[in-house]
Amino acid sequence: MKVIYRFVFMAFCLVLGASCSAYLEEEPKDRMDEGTAYATLSDLQRNGVLSLYNYVGGYADSQGLQGTGRGVYDLNTFTTDEAMMPTRGGDWYDGGFWQGLYLHRWGVNNEAIYATWEYLYRTVILCNSSLERIQAFSVAHPTEEVAPLQAEVRALRAMFYYYIMDLFGEVPLIENSNPKPEEIVQEKRSKIFSFIVKELTESAPFLSEERSNQPGLYYGRMTRPVVWFLLAKLALNAEVYADDDWTDGIRPDGKSLVFEVDGRSLNSWQAVCHYCDKITAAGYKLEEDYTANFAVFNESSKENIFVIPMSKTLYTNQFIYLFRSRHYNHAKAYGLGGENGASATQEVLETFGYGTPQVDARFDVCYFAGPVKDLAGRPIMLDDEVIPLVYEPWKVALDVSGQPWEKTAGARMKKYEVDPTALKDGKLLDNDIVLFRYADVLLMQSEAKVRNGENGDAELNQVRRRVGMEERTATLDNLLKERMMELAWEGWRRQDMIRFGVFTQAYSCRTPLAGEENGYTTVFPIPEKVVDMNPQLRQHKGY
Amino acid sequence: MNEMQPVFRAFCRMLFWGCLGGVSLQAQAQNESELPPDSIYTIGYARGILKNISGSVEQITEKQMNRELITNPLEAIQGRVSGLTILKSNNGMAALESVRLRGTTSLTSGNDPLIIVDGVLGDLTMLASVYPTDIESFTILKDASETAQYGSRGASGVINIVTKKGRAGKTRVNYNGSFGVSYAYRRLNMLSGTEYRRLAAERGWSILDKGYDTDFQKTIEQTGLQQNHNIAFYGGGDASNYRVSLGFQNREGVIQHEGMKLFTANMNMSQKMLDGLIDCELGLFGSMKRDRTLFDLQKTFYSAAAFNPTFPDFPNPATGGWNQITTASQITNPLAWMDVDNREETSYFSAHARLTFHLLKDLKLVLFGSYTYSTMENAQFLPTTVWGNGQAYRGSRKGEAMLGNAMLTYQKRLGTHFLDVLALGEVEKDRFQGFYTTTTGFSSNELGYHSLQAGALRPWEGTGSYYEEPHLVSFLGRVNYTYNDRYVLTANLRTDASSKFGRKHKWGVFPSVSAAWNVTQERFMRCFRWIDNLKLRAGYGLAGNQGGIDSYTTMALVRPNGVAPVGNSPVVTYESLKNLNPNLKWEVKSTFNAGVDMAFYGNRILLSVNYYRSKTRDMLYQYDVSVPPFAYNKLLANLGSMRNSGTELSIGLTPLRTKDMELNINANVTFQRNKLLSLSGMYEGEHISAAQYTALAGLNGAGLHGGYNNIVYQIVGQPLGVFYLPHCEGLVSDGNGGYTYQIADLNGGGVNLEDGEDRYVAGQATPKTLLGSNISFRYKRFDVSLQINGAFGHKIYNGTALTYMNMNSLPDYNVLSEAPAQNIRDLTATDYWLENGDYVNFDYLTVGWNIPLRKQRFLHGARLALTVNNLGTISGYSGLTPLINSTLVDGTFGVDDKRTYPLSRTYIVSLSLNF
Repeated sequence: MKVIYRFVFMAFCLVLGASCSAYLEEEPKDRMDEGTAYATLSDLQRNGVLSLYNYVGGYADSQGLQGTGRGVYDLNTFTTDEAMMPTRGGDWYDGGFWQGLYLHRWGVNNEAIYATWEYLYRTVILCNSSLERIQAFSVAHPTEEVAPLQAEVRALRAMFYYYIMDLFGEVPLIENSNPKPEEIVQEKRSKIFSFIVKELTESAPFLSEERSNQPGLYYGRMTRPVVWFLLAKLALNAEVYADDDWTDGIRPDGKSLVFEVDGRSLNSWQAVCHYCDKITAAGYKLEEDYTANFAVFNESSKENIFVIPMSKTLYTNQFIYLFRSRHYNHAKAYGLGGENGASATQEVLETFGYGTPQVDARFDVCYFAGPVKDLAGRPIMLDDEVIPLVYEPWKVALDVSGQPWEKTAGARMKKYEVDPTALKDGKLLDNDIVLFRYADVLLMQSEAKVRNGENGDAELNQVRRRVGMEERTATLDNLLKERMMELAWEGWRRQDMIRFGVFTQAYSCRTPLAGEENGYTTVFPIPEKVVDMNPQLRQHKGY
Repeated sequence: MNEMQPVFRAFCRMLFWGCLGGVSLQAQAQNESELPPDSIYTIGYARGILKNISGSVEQITEKQMNRELITNPLEAIQGRVSGLTILKSNNGMAALESVRLRGTTSLTSGNDPLIIVDGVLGDLTMLASVYPTDIESFTILKDASETAQYGSRGASGVINIVTKKGRAGKTRVNYNGSFGVSYAYRRLNMLSGTEYRRLAAERGWSILDKGYDTDFQKTIEQTGLQQNHNIAFYGGGDASNYRVSLGFQNREGVIQHEGMKLFTANMNMSQKMLDGLIDCELGLFGSMKRDRTLFDLQKTFYSAAAFNPTFPDFPNPATGGWNQITTASQITNPLAWMDVDNREETSYFSAHARLTFHLLKDLKLVLFGSYTYSTMENAQFLPTTVWGNGQAYRGSRKGEAMLGNAMLTYQKRLGTHFLDVLALGEVEKDRFQGFYTTTTGFSSNELGYHSLQAGALRPWEGTGSYYEEPHLVSFLGRVNYTYNDRYVLTANLRTDASSKFGRKHKWGVFPSVSAAWNVTQERFMRCFRWIDNLKLRAGYGLAGNQGGIDSYTTMALVRPNGVAPVGNSPVVTYESLKNLNPNLKWEVKSTFNAGVDMAFYGNRILLSVNYYRSKTRDMLYQYDVSVPPFAYNKLLANLGSMRNSGTELSIGLTPLRTKDMELNINANVTFQRNKLLSLSGMYEGEHISAAQYTALAGLNGAGLHGGYNNIVYQIVGQPLGVFYLPHCEGLVSDGNGGYTYQIADLNGGGVNLEDGEDRYVAGQATPKTLLGSNISFRYKRFDVSLQINGAFGHKIYNGTALTYMNMNSLPDYNVLSEAPAQNIRDLTATDYWLENGDYVNFDYLTVGWNIPLRKQRFLHGARLALTVNNLGTISGYSGLTPLINSTLVDGTFGVDDKRTYPLSRTYIVSLSLNF
């Protein structure tokens, strides 16, 4: 009997234990198991590759390469002589954030810098996870199936590393999804640079040659021309990127830096030209009308190379730059919202020749200045419906509080065509955001030629002729000015100023910081919180 | 001290002579008839008599509850229980924002105590379904030795509510009703239209002058009427009894459209079956609550205070719409904002049954099962006048909880030995699911949220749904042993298993032990006849916590992360969206507590002192982690530890007690301390640490986006929630007649406002001392009761003043009327506006009259009372009120930032009748 009791008892315990452990397992219904999400090739492509493109644009602060605030774009724009966010009484002081950017007083705990770092590295780690999943998938599947996926993710990751390296210099190089703390160590900037070049060069052959800016299978994706553009950018900035100590005043010489390109050894400037030629050969050209690139329906542009696809009904990406620049009544006249912020600096006005008979044709296309009209052509009035809204470009200053022009100082962002059907105060619109375009290719090529001791007039003047401006000689000085005009509001200014060595110099409303002349502010600090949490990281010199 | 002694002696003498006897065992002075010395206490699952209890158990019966002006049941014990903090949502609606017993001990949201109504386990939302006058008693368990019975769910204390049951005897009917009026009596003193106009003329500003003089703060107010009714029928015989009650509350807030309607029903029935072998109890309670509340308090009150006062308080006759000021982009016409419709409907239903089998004389088997179903529906409409394109939102959330337990109890007295043993097994299954949709692009505001099709677009991120089904399994063993009524020992062992944790960490074991010594029972105590009760207690126990964490953190899962274009069609893609932590486990809190209960002079002086010290380990929290190595910057993990300690002192005095008169003074004081010990620990074999400074609360508004506007922080080595601010040395001239804050260079090398630079810890947001006091006086049939609460030792950041004193915000945003004189032109957050938060608040005053009834045939009792609520506050704080959120760790913690309601007062007449 006792045996039977014991047996019954044991059976009872077993049943209880088994049912308990099953009872304590969760069965998710509103989310999917990872195994299912990457099971087939098309699953892998969708969730392992296309999923990553959700991080190119964004709708929250510091997320996305462009379109949102306090992220990559703002760090590249409001730190330069291209744009500022004047404090306007109660508006735009924001704890000194914007003034801090302009004056290069951003500090090591700047939340926007920290959030930008997190955004970029998060995307890199997600790319790493995708590569690991593709790797796992490739074990049982033919290489030719997975190679294009692998190449696309590697190229995408390289692009994010390019932004990380450009902003932060000497950073950790993470190539897996679950790095050990001891792997979080900084690599020399030149090493990160070579890694990016290698990754892009190796993945290019597996990528499609299709246009990425036009709807189709490769819309918004990494294709070969996008990679060439990046390689040209990398080569153009090679003197900066290959410089492991940017505070010693010595840069490597672009003529002696060697790029292995399609079996040839080229110096930096030759490499730029090589990649630019490839893009030209692929059929990219200037649009006759400059504004066509920024139209509501700019998908058919022959000039745009890489864009963030925008659709107010289909995608979540936002574009807040028009919203935050336009005066309230200006935006209201379009049926949209405005925050009355971002303005052009005095350098912009001078460079464009604003107020002179020789004003560059692109000024009126890129900026609102003086009186403004609504879509029906009527003058826009202020709240009292008596005084017209008149922007006063020359009154721009870091703080215009209490001035009669507090709300109207500064020329505002125009550039992108007004989409009157835009949603969310005008932040959700249909104009694709232009990241890379062919005019930049020409300007890069012109600059590379000049730097290599050749004549770059043809490329420069191709860009100028398109907007009906008289020809100029391609000198470095003219090129820097041309880039400010042609690429206004496109997020290139910080990189350009650093390459031309003027980022740390004085410009309007800004005197250099003490000690800045050594160039320490040409990279942002590693966020202090990241340094604290990763004891092997070292803060950059000067911070 | 010497001068004090005669006074003290006189006081004692007075007490002594006033002594006429009476029995009470709690620190709340009370009437003997209400609480016989051996009254039965419900201590979690166990039931016992006071002398067999070895932990701190406070029971509050109807007699001691706050009677008037109660919306939520817990208000009935506010100020009556030491260590209990209740944060009401300040609109006077039924919802409670948070409740803390002995402070915040966890960083996750599992800080609210477990609420039990007649054995049904629930959370704060369940409270709204119980009508306050249906409550018979509250039992509050704070010591780990007692809360350990509930394992993981009891970690933050337990509030056990028992509703009234039917009684054998005649059938009875009770009615309670009240009618009240509330109105706002004080608001911010902003520039009036005339002053605003004069100032603009003086300073030469061009302003938008519409020619009126409107106090928009007043225009959005209303007089709130309220009525409450509750009727209960009860009765029964020897074998069965029943009680049914119905309740209705209708309240209007002091701001336009604010209101709440609540309907409750409660039914209890019990029956003896099979010759007393089985006791059967059945209970049902349900409620339906409809709220219309303000959407975005800050936007509402910021707009009301700062909107241009020269604008009219009526819509533009030409357009029929409200005039807006486009340059004041962070606010809106407050009257237009009143058109925002924000509603919530909560319904709650709970059924439970308990079968008690009297197997042997001392052995009982209790089977209990409950099912609870709740839904919450939200609807919101933001018209095109205040929100570009308009926006409508509808959401529905549903929760179900099924709980069943089986319990065996054995109680035996053998001579001087008393043994009480309990064994319990319990399973719980919850199910939470819901969905929501947002639409925008409205061509008309007519239909609001009633027609979602009226919006042209449904943005992808505006729609969602979820499903969770966590399970819990528990076993409990409890032994309570008493020797000779003097020495009490209690031991609990509870194990819990939760489906939310990692495979190897599901089970948690939480033991506890406590002991007590009834000193009064000792022979040597006979010499001290004036001591009625002296009991020493001590205990130690562990408790687990899993509150507030989501399901599925331990599993590798993916969710939709967005829409990517493929060809011309949008395709939804999937991504993990959060860091995975397969090793998630229980958070464990260990508590030591000791206490002494004393009663002197015929229970005319009652004193109870409790000390506790707890340490929370493996603290569950969304830690800020570094990217890289992690992909996302938050990780739900068990790192870090926190310490809480405190002393609770309760005093009950009855200095006067005669046939006609009685004076009772009750006070409880709580001294609480909290320290965040660490935010680092081991994760997957690696030591990781979270960020040193984590901002918890900051400022918002025009010119306050981002930047250095964080005010309250979580810093290791400090109490949870400290003000970490730059130091202002005073105001300095800006050279143009204005003044700015002079910021001290604390660490040398120039002023830098970043974390870790020129900032210092300037105080804490949580009070160090809490006071609750009730003074009641009865003369014949009249009684008066005054409730006083207080909090000390904390600070408040006056972000409202920082914003409204900044002259730079004129003329777009109005300022305080004293701002022009000070002429500050600066919006930098420094300690200049950090103020002392100490206050004493006179919560309410009630005057009651028990109506004499001479031999009425039907009516047995009647009472009429008048209550004035929110009498006033004594405080040095310069803002509207120091009664802001100083409890709940969220974005408003310790910061008064343009979202405070106007001060309001409520007058209530109430009537209760017993038939």
